[in-house]
Amino acid sequence: MNNSQKKGGSTEVVRTYLKHQHKKVYSICRFFTTTYKEHQRLFADIVAAASQSIQHKKAGDEKNTLLLRACINMTALHSIMLRLEPEEDRTIQFKSPDYQRSMLKFRESVGEITDYEKILLFLEMEKVPQNEISDLTGITSYKKGVSLKEQPKKSFIPYLKEKLVWS
Amino acid sequence: MELKKLQQNWNSFPEVSMEERPVLSSDLEKIVVHNPLSGAFYLKPRIYRRIVAAVILWLFNIYQWRIQLKTGGNDLYQQAMLFFVLTYFIYFHVRLLLFADYQSLLSLKLIPFLGKLETILDKYILSFGIISILAGFYLLAAFEKTLSLLNSAAYAGISENGFYKWLIIIFLSISFYILFLHSVIPKYKKLLVTVRTYRGEIGSKLQKK
Repeated sequence: MNNSQKKGGSTEVVRTYLKHQHKKVYSICRFFTTTYKEHQRLFADIVAAASQSIQHKKAGDEKNTLLLRACINMTALHSIMLRLEPEEDRTIQFKSPDYQRSMLKFRESVGEITDYEKILLFLEMEKVPQNEISDLTGITSYKKGVSLKEQPKKSFIPYLKEKLVWS
Repeated sequence: MELKKLQQNWNSFPEVSMEERPVLSSDLEKIVVHNPLSGAFYLKPRIYRRIVAAVILWLFNIYQWRIQLKTGGNDLYQQAMLFFVLTYFIYFHVRLLLFADYQSLLSLKLIPFLGKLETILDKYILSFGIISILAGFYLLAAFEKTLSLLNSAAYAGISENGFYKWLIIIFLSISFYILFLHSVIPKYKKLLVTVRTYRGEIGSKLQKK
């Protein structure tokens, strides 16, 4: 018996949701992949990660947030894995001439930017509000004059868990 | 202005053509159940296997320790030490498994996610130290067994001398750790350094801003 049968309709709901949101996943792949193979691998990994996160989501977590977190986390892993691999030709190679042309144009206009900037740009393109970015990246901006004391504190149980299980 | 141009470019982006695009309806079912984490990023099966193996050895050790206590054998202190090392080994791995919490790992924010991966890898590398100690104990036992079959006089000489046994255990443990340092550990260390550098780069970017 596989996961989908075991959980009844829940996987079906997740699948439908991901099917509707697949364009977001395609979008982030544009920043981080150069070949069709890489694109497919990253796409599958993000979808699987999002599916896993949504199925085990805790109360208060929104599906969209979890999907975006899956996108960001998996692209980070993808970049880390690329760094471990021997240097390869990183030129853009897609079969479809239309897609190849758009990718070349897009990369040219984006230029050489860091992964974090790519993530920020992706979130900007997806019209994610500025105040929600820290909820996805975990990086809190101290620019707005918010002191450390005013930063939201962790609730007691996860804090205690973190301290007791591993510090 | 640049951003507006980019946004226009973004909006007019074509879909990956049909022959290059994953078949969503049929493939999605397979995709959603596959594990996105693999290799050294997913240590759960390895940690499980270690816990199961350690529990079996732990039970056998309790049995051996009991025999040593009853008969007043020469290996009483070694069995006691082995018991504590095995207990700590099991505790360490259960703690690591609970900490990793692979089900919710991917739903973390980027920086905590990378931080957690770093900790998991770091602790996993540390676990090879405990394995080396265990290897020292079990290799000595294997050595004694072999010696008892080949030369009973030499075996008697060693088994009655606790000091030599401890020296052999220390020597074997260090040798085993050196072996790990040159075989398995570099792979995990390289990954750990890459994750750490990546996290550092993201953090430093924010500081520059």
